[in-house]
Amino acid sequence: MRANAYKIIIAVTTAAFLAISAAQNASAQTQATAPQSAGAASRENAQTSLPASGTRTLTDEAGLRVTIPAQVNRVISLAPNLTETIYALGLEDKLVGDTTYCDTPAAAKTKPHVGDTINPSLEAIVALHPDLVLATMINRIDTVIGLSRMGIAVYTTDPRTVRGMLESTMHVAELMGATEKGNALVAQMQARLDALHARLTDRPYVHVLFVVWQEPLFTIGQNTFIADALKWAGAESVVTSKQDWPQLTFEEVVRLQPEYIVTASTHTGEEGKRSLEEFRSRPLWRNLQAIEAGHVAVISDEVDKPSPGLIDAIEDLAHQLHPEVFTAKRAADVERMTTEVGL
Amino acid sequence: MRPLTPRRILWICAGLTCLLFVAVLISLRMGAYPISVQDIAMTLFRGAMGRRDEIPPDFWSVVFVIRLPRILLGILVGASLAVAGAGFQALLRNPLADPYVLGVSSGAALGAIVSLVIAPRTPGAIQAAAFVGAALTVAGVYFLGRRGGQLDSATLLLAGIVMASFLSAAIMFLITTLSGHDLLRGMAFWLMGDLASPPPIQDVWKWFGFLFIIFFVAAGAIYTTSSDLNMILSGEQEARHLGVNVNRVKLVVYISASVLTGLAVSVSGAIGYVGLLVPHVMRMIFGTDYRLLIPTSVLGGAIAIVLADTLARTVMGPTELPVGAMTALAGAPVFIYLMRRRVR
Amino acid sequence: MSASAGSGPIVMPQPRPFGAAPPPRLRVEQASYAYSATDRSAPKFTLAPTSFDAQQREIVAILGPNASGKSTMLRLLAGLTKPLSGRIEVDGVEVSELELRTRAQRIALVQQESELLFPLRVWEYVLQGRYPYGRRLRFESDEDCLMAGNALAQVGGDALRDRWMDQLSGGEKQRVILARALAQQPSLLLLDEPTQHLDIGGKVELLRRLRKLADENRYTVVVVTHELNLAAEFSDRIVLLNKGKCLRVGTPAEVYEGALLEEVFEAPLDVEMRTSGRPRVILRGSR
Repeated sequence: MRANAYKIIIAVTTAAFLAISAAQNASAQTQATAPQSAGAASRENAQTSLPASGTRTLTDEAGLRVTIPAQVNRVISLAPNLTETIYALGLEDKLVGDTTYCDTPAAAKTKPHVGDTINPSLEAIVALHPDLVLATMINRIDTVIGLSRMGIAVYTTDPRTVRGMLESTMHVAELMGATEKGNALVAQMQARLDALHARLTDRPYVHVLFVVWQEPLFTIGQNTFIADALKWAGAESVVTSKQDWPQLTFEEVVRLQPEYIVTASTHTGEEGKRSLEEFRSRPLWRNLQAIEAGHVAVISDEVDKPSPGLIDAIEDLAHQLHPEVFTAKRAADVERMTTEVGL
Repeated sequence: MRPLTPRRILWICAGLTCLLFVAVLISLRMGAYPISVQDIAMTLFRGAMGRRDEIPPDFWSVVFVIRLPRILLGILVGASLAVAGAGFQALLRNPLADPYVLGVSSGAALGAIVSLVIAPRTPGAIQAAAFVGAALTVAGVYFLGRRGGQLDSATLLLAGIVMASFLSAAIMFLITTLSGHDLLRGMAFWLMGDLASPPPIQDVWKWFGFLFIIFFVAAGAIYTTSSDLNMILSGEQEARHLGVNVNRVKLVVYISASVLTGLAVSVSGAIGYVGLLVPHVMRMIFGTDYRLLIPTSVLGGAIAIVLADTLARTVMGPTELPVGAMTALAGAPVFIYLMRRRVR
Repeated sequence: MSASAGSGPIVMPQPRPFGAAPPPRLRVEQASYAYSATDRSAPKFTLAPTSFDAQQREIVAILGPNASGKSTMLRLLAGLTKPLSGRIEVDGVEVSELELRTRAQRIALVQQESELLFPLRVWEYVLQGRYPYGRRLRFESDEDCLMAGNALAQVGGDALRDRWMDQLSGGEKQRVILARALAQQPSLLLLDEPTQHLDIGGKVELLRRLRKLADENRYTVVVVTHELNLAAEFSDRIVLLNKGKCLRVGTPAEVYEGALLEEVFEAPLDVEMRTSGRPRVILRGSR
């Protein structure tokens, strides 16, 4: 019986090895072509990514000391908002890899993937020979440590506010050697924000409830990115909580009586009407003043992403909440938004 | 009559070590980065010789920074969990016992959560906090599980279950009140069991040396009681009559198995099914004598985790699954099969 | 006590006066036990001070109805509990002071049931009886195998060697458990109600075997039982207990008295003396 057991174990192990090896070789053929074609050149670049000549050391937004090569030609993005920022800066040629969740703009889906945002594959990253890896606080610290142990530069961004997002965008542009483009993009975004601010200064804040999830009811706390974005759109969350994602009971919502209900969705436009119908069909919600008045605003889920698309979402929300300020230009803005968000 | 001899144990362990070796080779070969067996061999050889500068930096990274530490961690964790499982099965006189039944993993999870809240980006914080949580749980269950000053199997089991549920409730409470995306994402991997955490100190070999020393001391302590465990499994009272110091043996096994579990859980989260199933499978193949069961569980657990982890990181490439997901997927059917078959 | 091959324990040679009797294998002197004993209140004895002796080759029956203190007596004899007062000595050494393994080499307690968690073969089970003779982490030596084999042979269980423990019948299991106790090479063999689950044929067979073992291997056997006739037939000495008190110690003929037994067992009993010199107890019919 024991001899049989040994035989079975060896047979199964060998079979598994052969099967996995075959599958591995098959996928390796397709994946290998991309990095291998840049093989010779990337090998050279891999050498420069070791702290030798032409590097600089700075502190990233998470407070870690990072040594970055002076010449950055191959970048991997580990978060969708960073991918979007890179595209907005026009630097997508330097982007050699991103995550499976990077879908904005659509072209990002064709880049080689290194895994998901939470647990990207270190090996896949190594295989692409990046000069620089851009990360956010969503990525595990283990990934950052693992990469730095292999001598790969990792820069972590941590924008907490809309202004922080502008600064991060500037940092990314500088790191990738495109300071002018960074300046231009940031200036443009700043200008739009300033214009909004100018129009809204005299208006009182609209009190809104930002609904992250209906059942159970989750909303945002005051220290979140979304709360800051809302302020730029002339809105203020009725919920003041130190938690990031506080959970509310419905009685609390009734007590707070927000003027508007705001939700985020991937597809705006038609979603606005549908959301309102949905809220009206729910027994609890339909009696809220906001729902009875039809005050439901749906904006793009870019609002939670520290990326250029955020500005569009803020403007969209401002238009919905303060229509009287924007009447003349409304149609033109809607068209511009539709094209820029990439629908 | 053929009683167990040291020679037989050594032969069987030699065979299993060969299997482990094969598993390690397979694991070194598999991964998102394409590297051939020859290149791996060359990297290992040159690395061992100290000729690091002759190795392409990619190969060095992949073999010595990414794959090999993970494999070593897997061996350690698999061996620890399997021996702890065998120990607890004897201690609690219950074939369904696994290393987590006394709540050690819940205590470690609570420690991990606390560390994620307080110091989320400090390397090594999770491991240390998890170990402290585990240690406190072990002590708590010990004091609850005594009856008349001695460890009683039934009381211990009850105390462990109570402690585990209490800690789980505390964990749920913390997760809901301290909700933030970072916390939940960090915990998800840890709760499933995951070998990707890099060592908290720069010198990887020192870290593993430290861990393996703890492992050998604890596993060795259990091994010295293996004759006693055989006796205790035939009946506790009879064992006493035959001269076994049952109380001392129980204490040694309890502490050692808890240390092993705490060790495994601190570095890799709660990987399930290994501690439960590996001892059973080894019993089916090699018999119930603990003098043989302990060493075969060590090797069997190592082989199981190394293979499971290899599958976990390659089956859906480049996305890496946590190894606990793989052990659960494979473990559940094996468990059902074992339950339907008499354990011999 | 050395673990050398031999068919029984070695008795320490002592210089003795010419013509004196050999010292008793087992000596119980005023041994008592109580669960609660404080300074203020008198202890409630589960076993009042009791004394008796037993020699080699003797079978002693501890006899009494339920809750008479028989189990307590057995625990004291096994050294599992220290007596509240008095002494229990085996071969001149106080039992409760012996180190665990040494005690296991001298006293073997045969339990009734054996609940195994994992399946075990008969020879493995019997081999476990050799545990007291060796280091902590031990591998059985040839001598251990020899002793275990002898023990199994002594109970007529050679044929059972490769069977699984959980596939044995009640009587077969009984023999194997006895064999494990014999593998300990004890001086004193203790049995706790060994005939409980056996039919009459099994009971007789067991006691005959015990008799033979005691005679041939010079064991001292103490059997706790409430089987009146079997005790009378097979034992050399009877210790009659009732409600924690020792009522009488002596040969079956001396102890078995009709009125006494009736009172103790609360049943209509008559005692008849047979030609062999051993008494027989008869239930007086109610008709």
